Amino acid sequence: MLLRGIISTPLPSSLRLKTPARHKTVAVSAHTSTDTKTTNYSISDQALESRGFILRRTIDDLNLDHLNTVFVAVGFPKRDPQKIKLALEHTESLLWIQYNKTQRPVAFARATGDGVFNAIIWDVVVDPSFQGIGLGKAVMERLLDELSSKGICNIALYSEPRVLGFYRPLGFVADPDGIRGMVYSRKQKKRK
Amino acid sequence: MLTRNILAPSSPWPVVSFDFRCQVSDKLLTRRYLNYGHDRGLKKHNSLRLRAGFWDSIKSGFLKNNTLQVIETPSEPQEDEEVLPQEFVLIEKTEPDGAVEQILFSSGGDVDVYDLEALCDKVGWPRRPLSKLAAALKNSYMVATLHSIRKSPGSEGNDQKKLIGMARATSDHAFNATIWDVLVDPSYQGQGLGKALVEKLIRALLQRDIGNITLFADSQVVEFYRNLGFEPDPEGIKGMFWYPKY
Repeated sequence: MLLRGIISTPLPSSLRLKTPARHKTVAVSAHTSTDTKTTNYSISDQALESRGFILRRTIDDLNLDHLNTVFVAVGFPKRDPQKIKLALEHTESLLWIQYNKTQRPVAFARATGDGVFNAIIWDVVVDPSFQGIGLGKAVMERLLDELSSKGICNIALYSEPRVLGFYRPLGFVADPDGIRGMVYSRKQKKRK
Repeated sequence: MLTRNILAPSSPWPVVSFDFRCQVSDKLLTRRYLNYGHDRGLKKHNSLRLRAGFWDSIKSGFLKNNTLQVIETPSEPQEDEEVLPQEFVLIEKTEPDGAVEQILFSSGGDVDVYDLEALCDKVGWPRRPLSKLAAALKNSYMVATLHSIRKSPGSEGNDQKKLIGMARATSDHAFNATIWDVLVDPSYQGQGLGKALVEKLIRALLQRDIGNITLFADSQVVEFYRNLGFEPDPEGIKGMFWYPKY
């Protein structure tokens, strides 16, 4: 499991509150982001490969209809593939796992943001037939690695209640210091 | 997301609660479209717009070499149907000495990064490297600003322009947008400007068909955003942060 902290020089994230930040002093691995083979992932790149799973970091060869199928299979609403394409083209980082045998995507995650301070992770999915073997964790660990190696200190996501336990071991904390995730709802809006 | 120091009262926008020394212009509720002389003025939204003028604005400042034209709107259009103009005057007030101050909203992203740094200082945010600030702005899908433009009588063309508020949103251009860094100059707080800023930003995002607008709110400002239509933890969905620095 990747337990990589970040010692940052004054690069406050928008999370920084009134009191001066107390940096979390966790040892930072000396590995660079390109040195993926020796980084401490729960499942190594080689292990994945030997089991027939290929790591992908671009949308080349990603069949959006197949991706949409996975989204629907895990309960997301079916979305217009053109819109998905637009979203992926404007996504800062993404990672997916291709199952060699079928060439189909079986795990996926992406992150949007401003490239320097903040990133939000969206659309983390694993095909139900491939869940429980560590693919979700594999994708998340590498995505987090990529984001933190860019110096992005503020990485967040919105988690459904039933998967909070998936994100916690990865290092995620819900509502830190009382910060709440909020979503705009048109129905909710109070008018004068 | 830090929206500290925005202690806007929960009153409907726009709030007219100026210092007693100022007179409120009766043009308060008339929307004026201002064309600042370069072609960015009245463009309708363009979902793939890049802020081409951003770097120019850093170098040249904002109101340089501009002709101010004021185009009056015929009548107040239906709230749901109108396209939000990229720039418009939120509030205009005339002071006793004849000076006119306008609060200008813009979603054009014209932010001088030095002005932004000064504004962040004013609200007490820790310093961030300027190059990163500039990059963050450039990589944001939408940057909304409030500027105060003050025209003194007899100082033709010499307007004082000041950045007094900003909010920005990152997005994948299709489904989701997240609002960050909402701030209003402390001397302009309490007037509903923060609300206006966020409201307009939301409107602009919705008009671009971004259906999912999200943000992270400090506990003290959860109510502020609730009043703007945001719901915390909808359906139990929780905001989570990776190794947050407290």
